[in-house]
Amino acid sequence: MTPPRSIDVADLPPFAVSSEAPLWWGQLFLTFVEATMFAILIAMYFYIRLSMDVWPPPGIQMPPEVLPAIALVLLIASCYGSYRASEAAKRDDRWGMIEGLALNLGLAIPAVVLRAFSWHDWNFKWTSTAYGSVTWGILFLHTLDLGADLAFTLVLLIIVALVRSGPRQRLGVHVDSIVWYFLVAIWIPLYVTVYWGPHLVGAPQ
Amino acid sequence: MTAATTPSIDLDRERASLERAWANGRGLLAWLSVTTHQAIGMRYIVTAFLFLLAGGVEALLMRLQLARPDNTLLTADKYNQIFTVHGSTMMFLFAVPMMEGMGVYLVPLMLGTRNVAFPRLNAFGYWMYVIGGLFLYWGLFTNTGPDVGWFAYTPLSGPQFSPGKRVDVWAQMITFTEISAMCVAAELAATILKMRAPGMSLNRIPLFCWGMLVQSFMVLFAMPAVMVASNIFLLTDRTIGTHFSNPAEGGDPLLYQHVFWFFGHPEVYIIFIPALGMVSAIVDTNTRRAIFGYPAMVLSLVATAFIGFGLWVHHMFATGLPQIGEAYFTAASMMIAIASGVQIFCWLATMWTGRIRWTAAMHFVAGFVFIFVLGGLTGVMLAAIPLDLQVHDTFFVVAHFHYVLIGGALFPLFGGFHHWFGKFTGRLIDERLGKLTFWVLFIGFNLTFFPMHILGLRGMTRRIYTYPSEMQWGGANALATAGALVILLGGILFLVNVFTSRRNGEMAGPNPWDSGTLEWATASPPQNFNFLLLPAVTGRYPLWTSFKERIAVTGLRNDRREVLVTTLMDAEPHHRYVLPRSSIWPFVTAVLITIGLIGSVFQFQWYYPGIALATIGFLGWFWPRAQEAEP
Repeated sequence: MTPPRSIDVADLPPFAVSSEAPLWWGQLFLTFVEATMFAILIAMYFYIRLSMDVWPPPGIQMPPEVLPAIALVLLIASCYGSYRASEAAKRDDRWGMIEGLALNLGLAIPAVVLRAFSWHDWNFKWTSTAYGSVTWGILFLHTLDLGADLAFTLVLLIIVALVRSGPRQRLGVHVDSIVWYFLVAIWIPLYVTVYWGPHLVGAPQ
Repeated sequence: MTAATTPSIDLDRERASLERAWANGRGLLAWLSVTTHQAIGMRYIVTAFLFLLAGGVEALLMRLQLARPDNTLLTADKYNQIFTVHGSTMMFLFAVPMMEGMGVYLVPLMLGTRNVAFPRLNAFGYWMYVIGGLFLYWGLFTNTGPDVGWFAYTPLSGPQFSPGKRVDVWAQMITFTEISAMCVAAELAATILKMRAPGMSLNRIPLFCWGMLVQSFMVLFAMPAVMVASNIFLLTDRTIGTHFSNPAEGGDPLLYQHVFWFFGHPEVYIIFIPALGMVSAIVDTNTRRAIFGYPAMVLSLVATAFIGFGLWVHHMFATGLPQIGEAYFTAASMMIAIASGVQIFCWLATMWTGRIRWTAAMHFVAGFVFIFVLGGLTGVMLAAIPLDLQVHDTFFVVAHFHYVLIGGALFPLFGGFHHWFGKFTGRLIDERLGKLTFWVLFIGFNLTFFPMHILGLRGMTRRIYTYPSEMQWGGANALATAGALVILLGGILFLVNVFTSRRNGEMAGPNPWDSGTLEWATASPPQNFNFLLLPAVTGRYPLWTSFKERIAVTGLRNDRREVLVTTLMDAEPHHRYVLPRSSIWPFVTAVLITIGLIGSVFQFQWYYPGIALATIGFLGWFWPRAQEAEP
């Protein structure tokens, strides 16, 4: 039997590229997971600091200053690409999405490459004391996340440019920008911890 | 939200069209590709139940070993593996997935929608869980079962004291089950916040859904900690030589305990909060009145979740932490009793002022109140540091947490099974046998676990595989073992009831208990699309309003898997949303990720092909399909 009264939803839009979309929320929740993980890693960094007299331990060089700072600026700048792509996705502007995603990749990939370069002449590994373990742990996990999202962005770019830019893809581009903002934002405290930590809470060797 | 007179709708055509759009197909490939929530939810429930049986067999083996002094049924090594796998099974492979399964099955029905928000993620999470569980049991059957306790403390679990692969199997099983739990948490939270029936504002959500929402957030914030502990700490220390828990190189085993219990304590509430939701659902139906103190109930759930994150150090009172810190955790541990107490009083008030119908499910609720209150009392005792130091790592603690977990989660869960059995299967479970099951389980439970309080006070430590007769622990242990056999009898009664009722039980019909919430507004068992016309609601108990006041949603397309998305607070209709069809890719992706995860247990480098393979899986998953009709 049909209830006597009803609400007709046929006129509602068949999709939404905004924070009203369930996918937007799902993605937000997954950033909670990542945020907790990184918060625990930061706590671990300072906890381990407490149990060592010299920080970084003897024989381990201080982290470099210039390259990581440039990489940070590039990463922050790359958010503009995500923002443009996401705004373009909202108004269904295929070229805007392509430009924005390309700008994002164009700035972010050099940032990751610079990061890798700055590691090249480090004289310690994750096997060099707990300091090395926690420093590399943070760097590895954040870089893995960056890499995964960049790969995803690249795939999105290819799909939007060559295959289709329907509502699903537009929502994908919009939601991808949330992840990217998060990964860049969380990098700021991680960057401060890893690169400034030895200066801020270090003790003379 | 303004409702108009319903236009005339050809319901038969509507049904035929929905059946086509939501059909799952036949054959193995279709079976592996299923993404409908009833099927996945039921798979979770059945799989978790099988793991409960496995964990129960392990418990029985332990009880038989301890039945008398100097027993030689199990060797020390086997005993270690069995208690570790018992604990890990019950926590990671039974309790959490079972609650998730109940949520996956019931939440979309209670909210009045057709599926969870991310059906493919749902399927993926299930496959990860199954694979992780099988991996642990593969370990146990090849003598590679973990043997360091379900929390795998370093340094015992570290590379120095636990060579071989036993601990790695445990650590990677955690990864599988946590990925699964996080998938369900994200999808249920998004479903509850964004896919409720029009009119179901936040203050009208059924309490079980509130429980699942709070639990989902707890999972999102707690599970990363155990992944850090098991994967970053343990596995890397063991496989690539990091020093997180090696004091000689600046690491700290205590740090592992902190990180583990930052997860481990909320875990208890992750199991327990959905159970509270089940209790509320059973109590309001069977007292035939609205739950007393709905806002207080919701606030207590939320408060429990917050305080639950501030208790972890009470597992570590014996580690010599600074006393001021310990005092804080004592206070927090006592404070959480307030939040739980508020709920108990609300249920009692509901029962007091309602007309109680003593169904089997209600029996389990009453048993829950009794057992859980006892477990709560020993919890307040253990929060006091001097007492905790005396009984730390004794059977007193074992008794306490079985009272809390079996009383607080298993009894409500069995209540839930009896309550929703008709919805799940279409036939009612036999009430008389159900009540008998309750009494057998209740007596068996107390017979098993009450003596453990006394054993603990008399100094019997946990995790010993035998004891000399001079300790005079034999009597109480024999009693506990007898109790375990009674529990076994209860389990058999339940299984017999399930199988006979499923075949010969009375037909349930849509709403056998005259409940008020939406899962009872549809056929039993529900069809893949749940509701022919999605409902809209005007109160907390939509089925307790007269039919004249009911409102339906019309205008959704029924030739594809379309649902309605509503606003976060007031559940105003916002837009329509097409859910994906069946897909094999969640299964394929889970298998491809497994290659990396299991390979890395033996050689860390397996992660690299694992990542590449997982990428292929996700590409297949995300690639646009021609068949997915665009709006």
